[in-house]
Amino acid sequence: MISKLQKTIRPVWAVRGLHKSAVEVLRRPAPEDTVTASFGKFISEVKPQHLSSVVLHRSKRMVLDSIGVGVIGSTTNVFELALQHCQHMYAPDDISSVYGRRGTRLSPTLAAFVNGVATHSMDFDDTWHPATHPSGAVLPAVLALSDMMSANSKPSGLDFLLAFNIGIEIQGRLMRFSNEAHNIPKRFHPPSVVGTMGSAAACARLLSLDPSQCSHALAIATSLSGAPMANAATQSKPLHIGNASRLGLEAALLASRGLEASSLVLDAVTGVAGFNAFYEDYVPQPLELSNDDGHMFLLEEQDMGFKRFPAHLGMHWVADAAASVHKILVGFGPGTVSPAQVQDILLRVPKSKYINRPFPDSEHEARHSFQFNACSALLDGEVTVQSFTPAALRRPDLLALLSRVRMEHPQDNPANFNSMYGEVQVTLVGGDILKGHCDTFYGHWRNPLTNESLRKKFRNNAGAVLPSEKVERLIDVVEELDRLGDCRALLSQLQ
Amino acid sequence: MLRKGITESFGAAIHALNTTQLTDGVINRSKRMMLDTLGVGLLGTRTAVFNKALAYSQLFTSHESSSVWGKSEITLPPHYAAFVNGIAVHSMDFDDTWHPATHPSGAVLPALLALAETLPSQPSGLDLLLAFNVGIEVQGRLMRFSREAYNIPERFHPPSVVGVMGSAAASAKLLGLSPAQCTNALAIAASSAGAPLANAATQTKPLHIGNAARRGLEAAQLAQRGLEGNPAILDVNCGFGVYYKDYSPSAMAVSASSDFKWILEDQDVAFKRIPAHLGMHWVVDAALAARAKLENSVRNFDLSQIRHVTLRVPPSKYVDCPFPATEHQARHSFQFNASCALLDNKVTVSSFSEAQINRPALKELLSKVEVETPKDNLPSFDKMYCEVEMETDQGQRYVARCDTFYGHWRKPLSQKDLVEKFSVNASSVLCTEGVEGVIDVTGNIERVRECSILGSYLRMTSSQHEQLYSTRSL
Repeated sequence: MISKLQKTIRPVWAVRGLHKSAVEVLRRPAPEDTVTASFGKFISEVKPQHLSSVVLHRSKRMVLDSIGVGVIGSTTNVFELALQHCQHMYAPDDISSVYGRRGTRLSPTLAAFVNGVATHSMDFDDTWHPATHPSGAVLPAVLALSDMMSANSKPSGLDFLLAFNIGIEIQGRLMRFSNEAHNIPKRFHPPSVVGTMGSAAACARLLSLDPSQCSHALAIATSLSGAPMANAATQSKPLHIGNASRLGLEAALLASRGLEASSLVLDAVTGVAGFNAFYEDYVPQPLELSNDDGHMFLLEEQDMGFKRFPAHLGMHWVADAAASVHKILVGFGPGTVSPAQVQDILLRVPKSKYINRPFPDSEHEARHSFQFNACSALLDGEVTVQSFTPAALRRPDLLALLSRVRMEHPQDNPANFNSMYGEVQVTLVGGDILKGHCDTFYGHWRNPLTNESLRKKFRNNAGAVLPSEKVERLIDVVEELDRLGDCRALLSQLQ
Repeated sequence: MLRKGITESFGAAIHALNTTQLTDGVINRSKRMMLDTLGVGLLGTRTAVFNKALAYSQLFTSHESSSVWGKSEITLPPHYAAFVNGIAVHSMDFDDTWHPATHPSGAVLPALLALAETLPSQPSGLDLLLAFNVGIEVQGRLMRFSREAYNIPERFHPPSVVGVMGSAAASAKLLGLSPAQCTNALAIAASSAGAPLANAATQTKPLHIGNAARRGLEAAQLAQRGLEGNPAILDVNCGFGVYYKDYSPSAMAVSASSDFKWILEDQDVAFKRIPAHLGMHWVVDAALAARAKLENSVRNFDLSQIRHVTLRVPPSKYVDCPFPATEHQARHSFQFNASCALLDNKVTVSSFSEAQINRPALKELLSKVEVETPKDNLPSFDKMYCEVEMETDQGQRYVARCDTFYGHWRKPLSQKDLVEKFSVNASSVLCTEGVEGVIDVTGNIERVRECSILGSYLRMTSSQHEQLYSTRSL
């Protein structure tokens, strides 16, 4: 990873170098030569024709999945709490739709907030590499802002999709500035760092801000970024995405009113930290828009991971590994797995404190527990939405299995969503040892969900709240999104 | 290393601290902080950044709303009132500064006043004073968890780190939350902390304080609704510790029945005489002294006689700005403030206008200024000094040094001068009755039955002023 970064560095001043003395340029690059300015320019000037068919296809899948998990997320306690907070603190405002709640609308930033909370409430939303949950930070803001725009100037479906992709692209570019971002996070929760920036970028585009204003939107957003990892696996975690969405929109709105901030926020200035405050290593690179019609969006070279069940991505490896052991066990004898058969369970997983929880106390902790997800899959053959209900958390069979789990962190199992594996080794009472190993779970970007599987997930999620006509119409509308003249067809189906 | 219960001890302490534990010393000092904060906030309501934030905030409405300082007609939802008033406080970098470095009051007072106005039963002045001090104390405690906090910052802007925590603590106190809820308020607030330093010296810096106030208040209210965060947020390195390179937290012990040692009692704040970064105060005092020496020895003193100026200052990149282009940069420039002092024999509120910044005479002087960072000049507001040396065309040298400027905690502003600063600031916005009312209420806050009376004085604009200044930016 390090050598890759070093190879692609092209110091900005080396490109310009001729007129000014090297020393002066090093100390103060011309405004248009900064990384920050290049980002602003990209956001403002990239065109719909730069979206390739692969990127269109992949991003539409993301939009669909994100709406689905957002809608089912509207049934959670944390969503309800966030919604009531907003409704109590602020007067009704008939502007932006709230997922899954017919007739409920809020001010745009508040709608972005609650819909973002909904999206991440069950940890069911998409995950990328380097690690973050990109869509939940962007889509709610873009939807809310679209609702805010006047009836005769609503964005077209293609404009909407372009803004969305800009929000994703900016996140991907920022994460590539550091090695730290390539591994499972330890300090700052990535959606709170890059998500806010992505939302700001997407909204700046939708507001048609000029390059300078786009840069300022990013800089304003930087001061609103960054939440510690410690709140992951708690009820507060979904607010990281909710706030990323909300605050990115706010940054763009403030920039549109002329608020200014640092013009070097993405550049690395010694002694004064900007965006690099969030990383231990940081090498920024300008974002260039090539003169011809091509721009390679990162989504083209790096696909998205979609979850099959609502838990941290790492859980999907151990669940698939445990499920294969379950299949073998069930093949042996009666149709269920009983703790009585099991003497010992060994998990070989990467080292990561916040997903290592032997006895999770809450649904939030359970979604972040290798042990819990492995045992659930071992017992039931799969992990589903239902695996995290209060009753399911307290099952005696599950607790019995949990008490028999040991963990190992092999050297060859890095804490990295691109390279990790999950292994479940079950020692039966009789002495037999069964092993399940998963390198790439179904849904990972190396083994993506088929369109059918994705739609099935969407139907299960959205269908839990919306009538089936709306569910089907949403599938159709999103499929057609880049051809829609007006994104209202999408906005009207969310509740 | 397993640390236990530090966060919970903070939650318990916030809940347990009561008015009988407020000492005379702490009451005195915190009342001065309140007065100064209100004054700089009122003056700040006439700035461009405040106006932009206000226009944005007016997108939001609510049933219960709170005062916007210096505006007789406008109110906002409490979060946004806290937001804009907080921005006003820090808009000109005129607000108080503490050691370890942060601007403690601007993050707390706007949140408390906005909250107080919407509470069903009105808090007393003493309740307000207690909550305010809880917010200050928590900030002081948190900064003592790391060595990094003791120096002039390089990574995160301290008000954005500890300010939001102070606001959450103070708001939780005023709301009367349980110990567990207070703990959660801190945990929720931690996810709203941390703005990088790069936005200092820009128009966005004041939003760091505005957002600290707003989001701390929101954290307390979410905790009141039952939202939970990590109950060990202060204990773990991946919690509040992420904002510091070295982090060593310790518990906060409070017994409701015995004495409590407030940090403010041991460590006073500095109040500014100039609306600029604290470091500027040293260089200005040194420049004025050097200028006086030159004036005393040379009969017809003329600045064009100056060939070269050397400033000896602590190393701090974000206040090293040789040619500031904006008011925000000018407030964060050793070079600018020294040159202003040499040119005008004073640095005041009006020194930072666009016209003043662009004066040819000033720019000419700036081109003769050089900055040195001697090894013995430490980047700490407790230890730094500034030295100004002028060399004339004749080769004469005039040097002066400032170790402690007037207004620093080692040499505090007299009560008379503090009230004078407030009066000048507040009079730009409020009518005389308002100005005197605020002085009177804050001076006697511990005896005031309902603290909302403060809000009514803060809205007593002289209508003439409101029209004149509503669109003007300073």
